[in-house]
Amino acid sequence: MKEKEAHIDFDLHPLVLYVEKEDGSYGRIESASFLSSNYLDDYLEKIKKWDRELKDKLEKGDISPVYYYMIMLEFGESDLASRVGISKRKLRKHCKMAAFEKISLKLLKRYADVFDVPVSNMLNFIAINEKDQKRLKISTRKSNNPYITISKIEIQ
Amino acid sequence: MAAHCESGTVTALLNHGGLEITEPMVFGIASGIFFGYFESSNFSFPMFIVRNKPGSMRRNIAKRMGVKFYNKSFKKPQQGIDELDRLLADGHPVATQVDFYYMEFLPEYIRAHINVHFVNIVGKNEKNYLVSDAYHRDKAELSVEVLNKARFVGGYMAPKGFLFYPFHIPENIDFNKAIIKGIKKAAFDMTKLPVPFVGIKGMRKFAKKVTGWPELARDIDHLSHEIMKINVLLEDQGTGGAGFRFLYATFLQEAAQKLNDSQLEGMSKRMMAIGDDWRNISYFAAKIGKNRDLGKERLNELSQMIYNMADQEQAFFSELYKMVK
Repeated sequence: MKEKEAHIDFDLHPLVLYVEKEDGSYGRIESASFLSSNYLDDYLEKIKKWDRELKDKLEKGDISPVYYYMIMLEFGESDLASRVGISKRKLRKHCKMAAFEKISLKLLKRYADVFDVPVSNMLNFIAINEKDQKRLKISTRKSNNPYITISKIEIQ
Repeated sequence: MAAHCESGTVTALLNHGGLEITEPMVFGIASGIFFGYFESSNFSFPMFIVRNKPGSMRRNIAKRMGVKFYNKSFKKPQQGIDELDRLLADGHPVATQVDFYYMEFLPEYIRAHINVHFVNIVGKNEKNYLVSDAYHRDKAELSVEVLNKARFVGGYMAPKGFLFYPFHIPENIDFNKAIIKGIKKAAFDMTKLPVPFVGIKGMRKFAKKVTGWPELARDIDHLSHEIMKINVLLEDQGTGGAGFRFLYATFLQEAAQKLNDSQLEGMSKRMMAIGDDWRNISYFAAKIGKNRDLGKERLNELSQMIYNMADQEQAFFSELYKMVK
């Protein structure tokens, strides 16, 4: 790749690329991600759509929160099961509400830790109107009790 | 910053230890170039890699250049935390393996759960570690709690707190021998490994299987996402294929100069052209994904482009192997 064709200006996602310089030597330049600089909006739209569709299914009870987070975070089943410390078979069952509603609080916490969310987020989703999203800030603070987190909603 | 996390961390640590060496040279001597196509329930969708097995760059550098690395993984997290802190207190920058998802200084949308990311830890204060990441311009701070989590998550290829740093770098390294060995192993792995999903065979498997991806996807948007991820895997993230072909071309040019070998110089130009063709594939994948232009005909076109790369790389690596045999 020639150096003059390689430059992409996109500060959010810089990359190092090796290119052919004008004198024919090969060397490094700092460029940026082609995909991020051109198609980030498309990706974010898809994520929003999946979030909406999966939450609809959650509300109807067609899927469990485990399935929701597994899809949104793009976990492979075996990888996720191993992180949580259960079998893949059990994980598949927990993707449906019938088995999910029987799991212990301890296991729910293990799922929440792997999904990197407070345990309360396994059962509760906060919706904010799009126009208010920049105005409101939600922060979560852990307490000494591993099952209890404090969510604070502030107007910015 | 560096082109890749593992060759980047190893290069930075060797440079810190006083050895002047470039990332392409580390990548080439370590036989970093590779291909593999994987269908596994450890991944949410079939995926391919374009570099050798995580961890093997460090091992190959040790073997071929005589560099001695201190390396250790840990059954008990606290032991791994204490050991990292001890090494930092002794003044050693240390590379450690982490889950990429927890690198909170990177944009949220690029972070995914991949357990084979490498970063250098260069310092620590009361609350934070100072992290040097190949994909971030400046050194970043990461809280002690988050880095510990990133080092000790479970799952596929769990990091187990793995860390390393070079404690002995020989004064006289036989670079010529190391270069030849690195090339020979890479060419062997690409053309001769008897495994149906790696090397050129893996490339052909990818070409064949990609036409069946619509049956695996949840819907057209999911298919579009996975097809566009071809671009991510070829360009953006640690597996970086097109980027890696350019990196390897740069290595071959450096190697040609060191060995005063005009044939290798020619191979370096060919590898640069191969990188350009991979880049065309990644742009094509991004475009058809964005346009949801993912009918049978278009995916056959994509498949054919990948088959062409397999033919090109088979000829290339077979020739390269003969040159260093």
